[in-house]
Amino acid sequence: MNSPLAVRLAFVLLFAAVLAATAQNSAPQQQSVKSKLPPVQATTNESEEGEKRFETHCGRCHVPPEDLSPREARAVLRQMRVRADLSSEDERLILKYLAP
Amino acid sequence: MFRKGIWAALFALLSGASLSAQSETPIISGGVQYLSTTAGGATTFQPIIAPVVAIPIGERWLIESRSTFDEAIFREDGATGPYHALTFSSVDYLQLDYIASSRVTITVGEFLTPFNIYNERLGPVWIHNLADSPLIAGIGTRTSGSSDGAMLRGVALSRKNWELNYTAYFSALVNARYFGAGRSAGGRVGVFIPRTRFELGMSYQRFLQDQHLNSWGTYLIWQPYAAPLELRAEYAHTLGGQGYWVEAAYRFSRFRGSTSWLGRLQAVGRVQQFYLGKPVPDDVNPGADTQKVDFGLNYYLPHNFRLNGSYGRQFSSFGNTNIWNLQITYRFLFPLIPGGSK
Repeated sequence: MNSPLAVRLAFVLLFAAVLAATAQNSAPQQQSVKSKLPPVQATTNESEEGEKRFETHCGRCHVPPEDLSPREARAVLRQMRVRADLSSEDERLILKYLAP
Repeated sequence: MFRKGIWAALFALLSGASLSAQSETPIISGGVQYLSTTAGGATTFQPIIAPVVAIPIGERWLIESRSTFDEAIFREDGATGPYHALTFSSVDYLQLDYIASSRVTITVGEFLTPFNIYNERLGPVWIHNLADSPLIAGIGTRTSGSSDGAMLRGVALSRKNWELNYTAYFSALVNARYFGAGRSAGGRVGVFIPRTRFELGMSYQRFLQDQHLNSWGTYLIWQPYAAPLELRAEYAHTLGGQGYWVEAAYRFSRFRGSTSWLGRLQAVGRVQQFYLGKPVPDDVNPGADTQKVDFGLNYYLPHNFRLNGSYGRQFSSFGNTNIWNLQITYRFLFPLIPGGSK
């Protein structure tokens, strides 16, 4: 490790790559989540309630993840049900919001 | 014996993966970060990866684990001399959860010690707003921040306007390399008001080996719906010292929405103080009275990337120091089984 210039250069290149990769995409986060999901089956009310519960419980620590498939969302919610002390009703409604 | 335990855990993981393949897919998520820290003129580069594996089994079971692999790249004499690198790895938790009822979840294995909010909720690299851990992070989380044993947690009471959440645990002394933990017992209880997103809670830990120690603390979180503001604070006390931190973060999402170029920006500030108590062996708290202020900017890029930059000034009898942090973090999430997201 005698090349600090290489380390810094790698850091700068990493930044540049990220900025270049993301420059083209300014779509809203929630649209990005939902665009990859199957047709909406949940009622609008349940989805809105799920969004509220996400903001209430999950939003206390972090922003919503992007690009979740329905099956991935179920696994995430199972994990968050334990970590964030969600009720089964919270889990069901937030799933309607993340993966209708 | 320990190896047999590891193989048994792996078998359980794989069994769980196949069982759950029909409904929830096992996932691997977590964060990758590249952190550059300049403290007192000495710069350290630190690549970090912290994968989280979650394997749901049926409707009530979950196996989850987080490991952290990081490397510290630094100069031999601080600001001069050849570069060296030290590599670290740890298992932060490896636990089996059983959702027994709407009020109780039973956890066994290695889990994060539930003291206040930082260790359990804000520790992941893709969550915390500032790179440096609080000065009081070592209080109530002896010895490693993780516990080996059993934990109960859940929402004990839930009413329309408030709910009471809790955790209670017991940990055994374990000296295994990746699963080290101290013998201790403790818990946390909090009251959460959903309508205002306000939570107030208390924590307690009784350390049950060597010099028995009591640690207690209190915390609050407030995220008003009326503004994109986050306010978090912790206070903790033990024989070795006491201290607090208060952190406020404001995201400029009111300006053309959270995905506009300005709306992706978040300003963060934190003040903290630590007051040294009596000498305690193996204490990880600061060795002198310390005050610190931090200011940071977070920028939430699309595709789960985040840029952070922060400046901190630390005041201590050991010397006053400027601390600069610059980091880029990617939060990833993939199915553990190929094709598992379909």
